[in-house]
Amino acid sequence: MTHAVEVEGLTREYIMGGEPLVVLRGVTLSIEPGEIVCVMGPSGSGKSTLLNIVGGLDRPTAGTVRIEGADLAEMDDERLAIYRRKQVGFLFQSFNLIPTMTARRNVELPLLFAGASPAERTQRAVAALESVGLGHRIDHKPTELSGGEQQRAAMARAIVNEPAIVLADEPTGNLDSRTGHEILGLMREMNDAGRTLLITTHDRAIAESVADRIITIVDGSIESIEQGGTS
Amino acid sequence: MRFRDLSFLVVSNLRRMKLRLALTSLGVVIGTAAIVLMLSLGIGLQANMTASLGDLGAATHINVMGGGMGPMGTEGVVLNDEMVEQFGAIEHVEAVLPSTYVFSIQDVRYRRYQAYLNTMGVPMDAFEKFGYELEEGRLPRNNKEILLGAVIPTSFSFASDDLFMGGTTPTAPELDLLGKRLTAKVVTYPTEDEYKSDPNAPAKEEKRKFTVVGILAPSDMQTDQTAYVTMDAAIDLNDLDKRKVSYENVIVKADSVNSVAEVEQTIMDMGFYTFSARSIQDQLKSVFLIIQGVLGALGAIAMLVAALGITNTMTMSIYERTREIGIMKAVGASNRQIKRVFLGEAAIIGMLGGTGGLLFSAAGAALANLFVQALIASQTATTGGVSTETTSFFQIPVWLAIFAIAFAAGVGLLAGVLPAVRAANLDPLTALRHE
Ligand SMILES: Nc1ncnc2c1ncn2[C@@H]1O[C@H](COP(=O)(O)OP(=O)(O)OP(=O)(O)O)[C@@H](O)[C@H]1O
Ligand SMILES: [Mg+2]
Repeated sequence: MTHAVEVEGLTREYIMGGEPLVVLRGVTLSIEPGEIVCVMGPSGSGKSTLLNIVGGLDRPTAGTVRIEGADLAEMDDERLAIYRRKQVGFLFQSFNLIPTMTARRNVELPLLFAGASPAERTQRAVAALESVGLGHRIDHKPTELSGGEQQRAAMARAIVNEPAIVLADEPTGNLDSRTGHEILGLMREMNDAGRTLLITTHDRAIAESVADRIITIVDGSIESIEQGGTS
Repeated sequence: MRFRDLSFLVVSNLRRMKLRLALTSLGVVIGTAAIVLMLSLGIGLQANMTASLGDLGAATHINVMGGGMGPMGTEGVVLNDEMVEQFGAIEHVEAVLPSTYVFSIQDVRYRRYQAYLNTMGVPMDAFEKFGYELEEGRLPRNNKEILLGAVIPTSFSFASDDLFMGGTTPTAPELDLLGKRLTAKVVTYPTEDEYKSDPNAPAKEEKRKFTVVGILAPSDMQTDQTAYVTMDAAIDLNDLDKRKVSYENVIVKADSVNSVAEVEQTIMDMGFYTFSARSIQDQLKSVFLIIQGVLGALGAIAMLVAALGITNTMTMSIYERTREIGIMKAVGASNRQIKRVFLGEAAIIGMLGGTGGLLFSAAGAALANLFVQALIASQTATTGGVSTETTSFFQIPVWLAIFAIAFAAGVGLLAGVLPAVRAANLDPLTALRHE
């Protein structure tokens, strides 16, 4: 069967002041459909870079990324946008909601770019917000929401287009531990709905509580892969 | 994704930059207004060149004014019979019509109705040669007969002593005056000699009756409002000495439109002020050309500045929204969609400005029309008759209105291209990291 995510020899370099800065060096990794994988490692080790490349926000210097068998390198920018729109959902440490729009408008955004009708957009956005327990705050702007509520809205946005994969870059990094656990609970629900999850975190306890596998990256290379506490 | 679906993004973006939006659109408002005025003037002129020809007098007629000051303070040349003869001798002159204003007639009455007339005395044989057409009747043959301009039968109002003093008098219905007798109030002021012997000598007032023997067919504005009597009647009414008579106004008829300029120049060289439909049009044309040029240049400059303003505003707002662009890309916006959002924004700024400019130019055109009409009226109506004809020198047809808004939107769109392309090509990660 095809892997949900298949990364092979992934290298990412930046040229800094004429010198190449190697951020990822030959990372190889497969994630199966429905799996929860946590990526750990010290700051600057390349976790976010890996996630961004898998999510089609960044392109590798070398190596391949296949999502459900499709090679991202073969996609032009237009196609890559469609990939981000349809197949992946993102969660960020800083939520990244558009501050001038209500929660509902924020959640509608991926549907808007997907060309859904206004009625369908509203209906699906409201349903997604309700599924993360934010049904009563749909017309609030991000500034009127707590951090946990903002991350819930972001989760609704991440799943509203029914992506197979959700990429979460330190989704609980800005939250207190209780709120963080609520968010993790919702991520488990996402996973129960069949989505593959790739999560970066600095918190080993969190990783152990949700991950099927924990991957540790140090200085751009995979140092270890362990089975998580849940499996 | 259709544009309609993007509109909420565009509108919500615009809503949060109201002041900046207003300032940015202002340039477009000015530019559009100037360009619309320029074009509307061009359209109006074209539409009016032929129409106004009739208003200003027949195309072959040259109006010569008497009583002007001569060069270097010398006394001006006098329009007398000698001059009339000289005009008649000029090459390409077909006929000469001297006229003298009957200033002693104050008003005329018919039954309960009253009208203030411009009455001119003309030699009827010359008048006939000028080819003025009669609507009905014939030309006056003696000094008890009068010929009325085309609009006079509709120019009567109720006699003012029938009503309260100073109140506006309602207009009378159109009167059937042919064959009827009008009573003119003729006032003769004391002559110089009489005044010397008795400074308190009163003005003499008498009533004279005239029979309307003819009504003219509509022709030019001035003729339509004038009543004509024989030259003898005018001399008599004005109490003039026949040998010393001089005319206020002589109309010279050229044999063709092409010779008007030459004849007019010859008469001007003799020291007279003249005007003709041609010379007024030439003056108007050159004035309008200057106005059009100024408006065009102003419009082009304003539009250019406005376009730069839009580019600048868009660049600024895109910079401020860099992170949002990153977010939109992360949730699946393609470069093309991002470009469309910002192009839409720029086009709407242009369109708003264009709509504002259109409104301003419509108001400006209306004002300018009033002004130009007043100007023409004062130039043509030497005896105070003001035309009620409405001549619109600025015209804004529907297509021009639509064009103006579309053009402004187009300018906005063009001005937005550079910033929109830059926004579209932003690297999503760099954009997301932007503070
Ligand atoms: N655009 C860039 N140009 C140059 N260097 C970059 C760029 N983006 C990332 N880096 C570098 O790549 C390295 C890895 O960054 P990355 O964000 O992947 O680390 P991380 O593991 O997510 O760290 P953290 O745990 O702090 O989030 C860092 O040293 C960073 O400075
Ligand atoms: Mg990171």
